[in-house]
This record gives sequence, C-alpha cells and structure tokens, in this order.
Amino acid sequence: MTNLNLQPKNEKLYFPEEAEILEIKDFTPKERFFRLAIKSGRSLGHFPGQFVEVSVLGYGEAPISISSPPSKDNQFHLCFRTVGDVTNKLHTLKVGDSIFFRGPFGHGFDGKILQRMRNQHLLLIAGGIGYVPLRSLINFVVPERKNYQHITILAGFRTPQDRMYPDELKSIAQLGENVTLLETVDKSDVKWQGNVGVITTLIPKVELVPQETIAIVCGPPVMFKFVLKSLADKQIPQENIYLSLERRMKCGVGKCGHCQMGGVYVCQSGPVFNYADILNNRETF
Amino acid sequence: MPEKSALLHVTKAALLSGLDNALKNYAIAALTNAKGAPQYDYITKAQEIDFRYTQTVLSPKKFFFPTEEDLLEYQTDGKIATKIATNPTVLFGIHPCDLHGIKILDEAFADGNGDPNYLAKRENTLIIGLDCKAVCDKHAFCYRVAAQEAPEGFDVMLYFADTNDFLIKIGTPRGEDFVKTYLTTASAAADAWEKYRHAKKQNFANCAPFKKLDKFPEIFAQNEDHAFWQKEGSRCLSCGSCIMVCPTCYCFDVTDELELNLAKGARTRKWDACMLSDFAVVAGGENFRHSATERLKHRINRKFNYLMSKHGRSVCVGCGRCVRACLADISPKTIAETIADDKE
Repeated sequence: MTNLNLQPKNEKLYFPEEAEILEIKDFTPKERFFRLAIKSGRSLGHFPGQFVEVSVLGYGEAPISISSPPSKDNQFHLCFRTVGDVTNKLHTLKVGDSIFFRGPFGHGFDGKILQRMRNQHLLLIAGGIGYVPLRSLINFVVPERKNYQHITILAGFRTPQDRMYPDELKSIAQLGENVTLLETVDKSDVKWQGNVGVITTLIPKVELVPQETIAIVCGPPVMFKFVLKSLADKQIPQENIYLSLERRMKCGVGKCGHCQMGGVYVCQSGPVFNYADILNNRETF
Repeated sequence: MPEKSALLHVTKAALLSGLDNALKNYAIAALTNAKGAPQYDYITKAQEIDFRYTQTVLSPKKFFFPTEEDLLEYQTDGKIATKIATNPTVLFGIHPCDLHGIKILDEAFADGNGDPNYLAKRENTLIIGLDCKAVCDKHAFCYRVAAQEAPEGFDVMLYFADTNDFLIKIGTPRGEDFVKTYLTTASAAADAWEKYRHAKKQNFANCAPFKKLDKFPEIFAQNEDHAFWQKEGSRCLSCGSCIMVCPTCYCFDVTDELELNLAKGARTRKWDACMLSDFAVVAGGENFRHSATERLKHRINRKFNYLMSKHGRSVCVGCGRCVRACLADISPKTIAETIADDKE
C-alpha cells in the first residue's frame, strides 16, 4: 500500500516581494535603469546572469535580468526596454514607488563557472540590451581584475545614442591595466569617433590564447550565429564559450513551458549555458 | 497485481448508496451524462454516474489545474494574499489512462518547486479509479503506450466484474478509510480476479505496445528531420485543441486582472498552448518556434522525448482525446507509428 508521496508545497512559489525604487536613469527613450532596495532588508543573493520576475500589481509579470553584481546589502539593479504591458507601466513609476518581484531565478554564472574563469582571459561580448545581463558579471570581475589574465569587453550598439551605461563604459575604458573595452556602433553620428560596423568586426582585433580564453556572449538571436562563427575562427573551444539566452519565462520555476528550448527549460538550466551543452539543440537561436 | 486477500467485492447498489452517503462530506465529481454529453462533473446523487468507458472531451486534470485559477489576490496599494481554493473532493471513475496522466502532472507540479495551488487540490482529492475492461473506442491507443493498466495513482480502484458487481483494490490508507466508512463490502470470490483478468486479456488480445517504446526518446531525437513532421505540420491549424483536451499538457499563462474600481485585482493562471503561434514569442518580437511544423514537433517531443526522459515513461497516455478533437486528423499514434516505424 503506497501513500500519495507528493512533494512538499512551496507556499510562496508565486508570491512576490516588494522593492522600492531608489534611483532612476534613462539611457535611451526606451531603456530605463532602476536601483532598488528590497523592503524586507534581505539581500537578493544572486549570481551574475540570473533574472527576477518583475511585476506591477494589475499589469502582470515579466522576466528581467539583474544588472548588478552580487552584493551583501539589500539593493539590486534592473534595466529594461519598454516593450510590453509591464515595462510600459514600469516606465511610469517614480523614485519612492514600489515594484514587486520573485527570484532570483535560473542558472547564472555560478561558483563553478566563476572559479573556472580565474586566471583566464575573459572575452565578454555584448550586443545592445545584451549588455544588461552581462553587466552583472562585468561589474563583478572588473573590480577584481587582478584575478584574471585579461578582461576584454566588446560592446556593440545600434547608434551612439543607444549605448547603455555610458558613464560606466567611459570609466571602464580608462582603467587601462588588464582591462580593454572595444566599442562599435552599427550606424555612427557626427560626434562618434569609434569603430563602426557589427560586433564581429571587433573580434579579429583581440589578441588571445584560445585555450586560456573564456568567451561570454549575450545579445539578440541573430548576433549569436555570427559571433560564434568568429569565435570558432579564433579557435576558442566550444566548452570555453558561455551564452546568456533570452526567452519569455512566465513562471520562472520550470512549469509554464514558455521558455522551453527543445527539451531544456531555460528558466532552470539557463539563461546561462555552456555552448558545448546546447550544440545540438535546434531551438537555441 | 493485488493480493487475493486485498481484493474486496461490492455490489453496484452498495456502491451507489455509499457514494450518496459520502456526498454529505465530499464534493464528488464523476463521469456523467447529466448535461447531455459525457464529462467529469460534480454530481448531486450517485444515480447520475455513467459507468461506461466513454471518453470525455476534457480530462480530469481540470480539477487540479483549472482552466482559469487565481494565484494571488491583491490591492494595488500593495497588500497581497495567496489564494488557494480547495474542497474535500472525490474523483470517481477515473480510467487508467487518466490515472497515468494525473501521476505525470503530480510529478510535474511537484518537481522541486511544489506548486501550492495544484498540490493543495491534489492532496484534498481522493481518487477512485475504474479499470477499463476493453478499449473505449477506435481513437484510444492506451495499450500502445502501456497505459491500459494502472498499478498505482489511485486511492481505491474498481474493476467491473459484472453488470452489478465490482471488485475493489485499495491503493492508500485514506482509500482504505473511505471504503471502510462508506461501502458495504465482502471478500471477493477466490477466482474473481482471475476471471476479470482473463476477460480483459481477451478484449485486449490484439493490442500490442510499441516494440521500442523504451527507446522513444532516442528514436525521436534521431528523427528531427523525418519528412512526416512537415507532412503533418503543414495540415495543423495551430488551434491548440489537442492541448486543451490533453491530460498531460500543463503549459500556462499568468495574467493580472483588475476590478473596475482599479483598487483590487487578481493574478490569474490560465491554460496556454505551445501549439498556438505566439507561444514562444519574446519581448523583442522574436518567435523561437514560428512554424506549425516546429510547434507540432515540439509538442510530440514533449510526450515521447523531452518529458519522457524526465519522467521515465511515455507522457502520452494514449487516451485519444487529441485525436478526437483535431480538426486536421493529426494523431500522435500515427506520428509515433511512422517515426518509430511500428505500424499496428
């Protein structure tokens, strides 16, 4: 005779927490930055690359990448593009207003990956709003740059006006030492002095030892195909490449099915994947 | 196989009067024709129960995972409360295919992150199964995916020994309590089980499972480019009916709804369907599964590959509901027979 043997319930699975907006910055008319403080005072306790389900009561939930590195206090950063019901409502909120969130969720750059990155050359490649999830890693590794052989950041944006975190990009560029920032824009304006062209035009410029390089890529689906080809040309082993992928995780807890990529739930096994693990997945890009 | 000593016998009259008594303490949902079509619905008296093996349009998953359900109630000023609605319920007359389906949903909704709404309803529901002595209709193919027998997943199981007699097998302690409390039973005759098994075996005589059922995940993984996907996918209307009627599909969407005064609202979960064209669209507009063929391949791979690997069993239970519902006559049975090259 068997009992039901059901797993325990998580009563708070869908219950969101409150966070207060401490600071708002606009990078573009559509892309907005929030610095938030969790009301309960707890720290978010996340790894770089993870996401939260952000909600505005009455408007719904949306998965948004955490853009700040792990911290001990109760603060974290989000940056979102205004494209749907939730983000349109978020765009109307002011400093002092509350948002709600669940998480952190997903598999990010966990301790094992971070350990693997030590003493290696990190090649971080971000396209457009793909800079946001990578920023949680960039702002984690750059202050500790002496732990890495070198850190190269490649950032591509549509136009100079579309650059994310321009002040931070400026200060990273000035660090020198073992940090290199290369930027490019698809379309320049009169003031832009930098590189013009797609992000893959920057990759041949990077000097690296393939076996000692860990590449991390985040951007729109079309970018991955071309970047991965350039990384293959550079002979970087597939298992040294990490991808941070975008899907619409509606529940964040491996149930609703929306983020499924072949047999993989991106909200559980991702959004950060080792490229070698998903080579044969037809639904990756 | 139950021990002979564990088998009990109950007459139909005793069963009906027992259920009438149980109605005082439980809501009872059973197969009924009361509203003009066979469906699992709440009954007010045991006489409404239809004991035939007719398949229903919707599976009993709706009792644990309703078409629409509030997860949270809130006030827009920030007061939030979880909402879990559940009553002590008896699900009566659940067939082996659906018992397999419920078992799969139990695993899916528990799965490390125990879904509080599903599990609360599930824990509060006593399941009385009714074995199928024969295949219900030409669309059902439970036997091809080895789901015509349900060795577990019930609290009490009934076997249709004869027109007015049932054999009873107890599945759980709470099932035993229920039988002791509500049913007047006797020990089953010594040969009753053998007779029942013999009759069922005869009825399923020409019903063989897929020869390589255990290897389906590999077979489906190797056949992503099989021409049959395109052939079937090109006829798919992307209506999502197959998913609505499926006992093991559980994709959902979550939306917020505000009351007219804009002060109060609810966060609601609704059934969703990976066969609908916009299911895999992300905020930027990219659709990661843009053709009907890709969506059909995804759904069938969930049944015979992705989730089959996870649950260690076919996630299609062969109930045949999607076959009956499909406007384009697409059938997972035909697809599996073609991909695995194993025609009945």
